[in-house]
Amino acid sequence: MSGRGMVLRASRYAVLIVMALATLFPLLWVTSIAFMRSPERFAGTPPLWPDHPTLVNMVNIVHQQRIGHYFLNSLIVAAATTPLSVLVAGLAGYALAQAKFRGHRLVSWVVMFAVLVPNQALVLPLFEMFSAVHLVNHYAALVLPAAANAVSIVLIQAYARAIPKDILDAARIDGASEWRTFFSVVVPLMAPMLAAVAVLTFVVSWNDFMWPMIAMQKVDMQTLPVALASIDREHYQNIGLMAAGATVAILPMMLVFLASQRYYLRAVSAGSVTD
Amino acid sequence: MARLELQRVTKSLANGQRVLRDIDCAVNDGELISMVGPSGCGKSTLLRCIAGLEAITSGEIRIGEQRVNDLPPRQRNVAMVFQNHALYPHMTVYQNLAFGLRVRHVARAAVDARVRRTAARLGLDALLGRYPRELSGGQRQRTALGRAMLREPGVFLLDEPLSSLDIPLRAEMRRELSALHQSLGTTMVYVTHDQSEALSLGQRVVVLADGAIEQIDTPDGIYQAPRNRFVAGFVGWPPMNFLSEDWLHDTGLDTQCIEYGIRPERLRLRPGARGDFSIIGKLERIESFGGEWQVEISRQGSRVIARVPPETKLQRGAELRLWFRREDLYAFDRATGSRMQAWR
Ligand SMILES: Nc1ncnc2c1ncn2[C@@H]1O[C@H](COP(=O)(O)OP(=O)(O)O)[C@@H](O)[C@H]1O
Ligand SMILES: [Mg+2]
Repeated sequence: MSGRGMVLRASRYAVLIVMALATLFPLLWVTSIAFMRSPERFAGTPPLWPDHPTLVNMVNIVHQQRIGHYFLNSLIVAAATTPLSVLVAGLAGYALAQAKFRGHRLVSWVVMFAVLVPNQALVLPLFEMFSAVHLVNHYAALVLPAAANAVSIVLIQAYARAIPKDILDAARIDGASEWRTFFSVVVPLMAPMLAAVAVLTFVVSWNDFMWPMIAMQKVDMQTLPVALASIDREHYQNIGLMAAGATVAILPMMLVFLASQRYYLRAVSAGSVTD
Repeated sequence: MARLELQRVTKSLANGQRVLRDIDCAVNDGELISMVGPSGCGKSTLLRCIAGLEAITSGEIRIGEQRVNDLPPRQRNVAMVFQNHALYPHMTVYQNLAFGLRVRHVARAAVDARVRRTAARLGLDALLGRYPRELSGGQRQRTALGRAMLREPGVFLLDEPLSSLDIPLRAEMRRELSALHQSLGTTMVYVTHDQSEALSLGQRVVVLADGAIEQIDTPDGIYQAPRNRFVAGFVGWPPMNFLSEDWLHDTGLDTQCIEYGIRPERLRLRPGARGDFSIIGKLERIESFGGEWQVEISRQGSRVIARVPPETKLQRGAELRLWFRREDLYAFDRATGSRMQAWR
């Protein structure tokens, strides 16, 4: 490699490292604060590193604050939402991209338009609807509205357009039904985008705050972000406790992302369907 | 195996464009028929209609004596090879071959036996574990053929299957296809825009233009007795020369209502019998094909190409006279374009 190439490479890595550190820094700091003894002592900014690392905040958040319970609620909701939402978006996105049915243009526009509607605007009508069918305080109140996500549909629709029509026709001539074609041919071809949408859905569901706060009025049914917010209100001076909660809350997202990053990266780097 | 019959098949698009017009054609059981026509004339659309991928507007399609107009593709007992192979990119060669049988719930052991037999026949044995992206063009083509063969369809539809291959491979695959047809004995419809491919492969040839059939005949019949000016000009390479009035002044032929054509290989450098006609023009171009030359002469902007044996005395820019027999001329009615049979 030439000297010039080396310099170029080095500077590229330097930039990437700086960006990675800038992204990681807050995460690491929060994690570090979670292990600080009585951090409420700190008047201003907490230090970067604990003098005497301790598990007291972790024990507190798990035992006294029952964070495991809320964690489980969040997990149930996200785990139910993700596959359902990916399935719905997969079917809808594929149909809108490849099937010619009466009114498909209109439906596409409606979905596009739905992307622009802010979630906050939906809270009131959703509450009316779920009260009417007595599903407030049920997991279904969080899962069902998230099952059809306009952003996911639009992402998948764009991706599904790249599937060559001949491949679908080949499957039909091979004797596959529409369902078989979808599951045996379309889903594998869209796997990178489906994985990306799954991660996105999981993260959005996991972080969602406003609608879960309103839909889950029973404390026992609350999700993690809502629960953390009320812990914050009670113990607003205890940064260590909050940091411990946040650290626990981040974990599953890290795991989901690590498990799917291979697919995820393929989708966002816009690899084509057919290599 | 099955006979395929198209009766007055018409297809119109939503915008009113008539892509297929009154297609009438019967393909006999076990016959290999090729369909040829310029790009955009409706060849792919016709195949897709036969396969059931698209609905026809009117007419009737019969496969093996059964009317299939309203049947979905999987109930029509057809297989199709697509122009770009259309292999499943996420499946290995084995899975690509097996898919059609798996979908039809054929037992695993039977599927395996048939996949291996077909793979052996096409020389794909060593490639069964590979993905399409790991195959060469020819191997992909064989896989696509194998996938279609494996189901032992009644009718085999091929849409320009060789057009994505390079030329030497194309010739080789053409011979293989021909051999395959002989051993399988399946009814085949072979679509191409390449007239030489159509002639060399088809037992009969259907010439299409603008969504309608111009002529159906054997390759020799199409070549020697084209029904009209379009077929005459489309089939043969280099194409037939159509002689404008300027060339034929001194022949005394009627050029008012009749247009004359002559095939390049019928033009000669020397007169044959007495009474032969000749045309004269400036020698513009000599192209050597080894054993044969193609020479082009021009006169008042119009050009004529001849295929002649190599002749070192020819000089570019000089006047050249080419001879032909009167009976080698084709005559076309200027008004209708149809060939005047009585001429010969
Ligand atoms: N889905 C379609 N939408 C609009 N026009 C089409 C469609 N399919 C085919 N056509 C038109 O039909 C004609 C025939 O197309 P095609 O069957 O692909 O021709 P070929 O295979 O002979 O090249 C063309 O003029 C093409 O523009
Ligand atoms: Mg075509």
